Amino acid sequence: MNNKEYQFGWRSWLPKDWNSNMQDKVAYWMISGVLGLVAIFTSFYTVEPDEQAVILRFGRYASTEESGLHFKIPFWVDSAIKVKTKLILQQEFGFRSLSSEGQRTAYSTQSFDEESLMVTGDLNVADVEWTVQFQISDPQKYLFRAKNPIATLRDISHAVTRRVVGDRLVTDVLTVGRAEISSEATQLLQETMDKYDIGIRIVAVKLQDVNPPEPVKPSFNEVNSAKQEQEQLINQAEKIYNQVIPEAKGTAAKMISEAEGYATSVENRAKGDSEKLDAIIKEYRKAPEVTRRRLYIEAMQDVLGKVQNLTVVDEDLKGVLPVYDSGKGNVVPVDSSAVKK
Amino acid sequence: MNNNKELIKFSFTTLLVFILAMGAGYTIKEGEQVVITLFGKPVRMVKEAGLHWKWPFVETVRIIDLRMLNWDGYPNQIPTRDKKYITVDTTARWKIIDPLKFIQTVQSQQGAQSRLDAILDATTRDVISSHNLVEAVRNSNAIFDVVSKRAEMKEAEEGQATLEEEVVGDIEKVEIGRENLSKIILDRASKELMPIGIELIDVQIRRIMYEASVQKKVYSRMISERERIAEKIRSIGRGEQAKIEGKTSREVQEIQSLAYRTSQKIKGDAEAKSIAIYARVLNQDPAFYEFTRKLEAYRTSIGPDTRIIMGSGSKFFDVMTNGK
Repeated sequence: MNNKEYQFGWRSWLPKDWNSNMQDKVAYWMISGVLGLVAIFTSFYTVEPDEQAVILRFGRYASTEESGLHFKIPFWVDSAIKVKTKLILQQEFGFRSLSSEGQRTAYSTQSFDEESLMVTGDLNVADVEWTVQFQISDPQKYLFRAKNPIATLRDISHAVTRRVVGDRLVTDVLTVGRAEISSEATQLLQETMDKYDIGIRIVAVKLQDVNPPEPVKPSFNEVNSAKQEQEQLINQAEKIYNQVIPEAKGTAAKMISEAEGYATSVENRAKGDSEKLDAIIKEYRKAPEVTRRRLYIEAMQDVLGKVQNLTVVDEDLKGVLPVYDSGKGNVVPVDSSAVKK
Repeated sequence: MNNNKELIKFSFTTLLVFILAMGAGYTIKEGEQVVITLFGKPVRMVKEAGLHWKWPFVETVRIIDLRMLNWDGYPNQIPTRDKKYITVDTTARWKIIDPLKFIQTVQSQQGAQSRLDAILDATTRDVISSHNLVEAVRNSNAIFDVVSKRAEMKEAEEGQATLEEEVVGDIEKVEIGRENLSKIILDRASKELMPIGIELIDVQIRRIMYEASVQKKVYSRMISERERIAEKIRSIGRGEQAKIEGKTSREVQEIQSLAYRTSQKIKGDAEAKSIAIYARVLNQDPAFYEFTRKLEAYRTSIGPDTRIIMGSGSKFFDVMTNGK
């Protein structure tokens, strides 16, 4: 009769031939067993090497635990929230990497112009992509001081990077200003995070691709190619200069050397001639009359000996001379004084 | 039978205690605060995290966020004072500092959100449209240092090839600056948010971009600027080329003429010397020189084809005619 009330309860699963005492015992053990299991499974937790765990007791902060196996008060009195504090986390702006598996990181082809286009100080537009690397330096603050710390970080990073870029010329942003922008943005971002005190430490703000906006790119490339052209033109001119000048110098040196050679030869000739004459005159003076005559006769012999057309006219035959041959050969007017004699 | 009744009694008591405990105890998590209401009327606030007690059933717990919250504005199209149409995207961080006022005036975070939208959008619009575009873009006048440094550098290398690009675009002076604009928005909006128990921590201009139609114009301006610069660079290149060509030709002329001059001088000196030498020797006996020189001249100038008619009385033939 006693057992009748329990016919429909859980005890109906138990063998019918057990007495109620035994059934109570089993019930006791089953309940405590289940409770025990729950207690065991809610009383420990493991913290990975890159994590820290924040322990809450009835929702109130109790402690922060390092990696390893830890015990806590079971039945959800204590709860552990694990935070990856050792890991350097990264947020991307203006682009998204899809996966870094394999050799090469795959990037989303979708464009994030909204994120990356910014106005520069000279009111031009630059397309700046950057990343922010950060660490959770204080898990307690990170978890409980801001509702959405990552969104906060993203918002501030946008504002700060634009502020830094906004104080620069577009050409600086695209070329020489990268390092400066990075370090200034890092500093400003850290300052703001410190002000909020949300347990985030900025490791680095790194500029990735910095480009002119897509429609403007060709004209920027044109400037670059113009620079190349400029250099090319200058190089060409320099090349011609380098070709021409040494040659001209060589030619000049040659000209001077030739002149010097000529000078030497003129001088030496003059000296030779004068020495010769000196010698001749010295001897000539000893017997001037005879020498003169001899020289004259020798010369005339040489001259007239060569001449094929010599006419000697008797001076007594007046009116005949001279007869000129207009055909060929040179006509030398004969010294008329000599003729008259 | 007895045993059974006791068991039922026991389970009832346990259940009752459990329900009472559930109704009386509540936990506040870190980052939360609560307002306890008695039949809907707020009676006290609790900010401490942990396990707390209240009267079961009659008192209700309303959880209010204690953390810093984000407000994300919808990008607004606003004309600036200098009539430039831009899209301004602002964000703000806020906190509920007076939970009582908060639940009385806006009820929930959703309610607060729409209030923040209204106030911040309006303030942002007011502030941006009453300032020039540069005030929202730049934070300081540091850019002028860069520009003047550039100009100095350019002056320093006057006469050389200017490979650097010049600064383009209009650069106006900034009087207030980006940070201060944010601050103005913050101050104005803060005043309006105070009565609803909200503290505005900061307002940031997250993004400023030209509106699509303006952006096109800006792009075409940038393109024309670049083209201008490219053309200038090319023309500088051509100029440099011409300069070098000119220099080349000048130096060649210099070198050639100098060499000519030097060589002529050398030749002249030599000839002068030779004249002096000849003169010195010939002065010893000018008549003899003339005589011998003439003879030499006859030798060289009279060739075999020359026709000569001579009188028989000439010195050369006198023996032939006289027989003496």
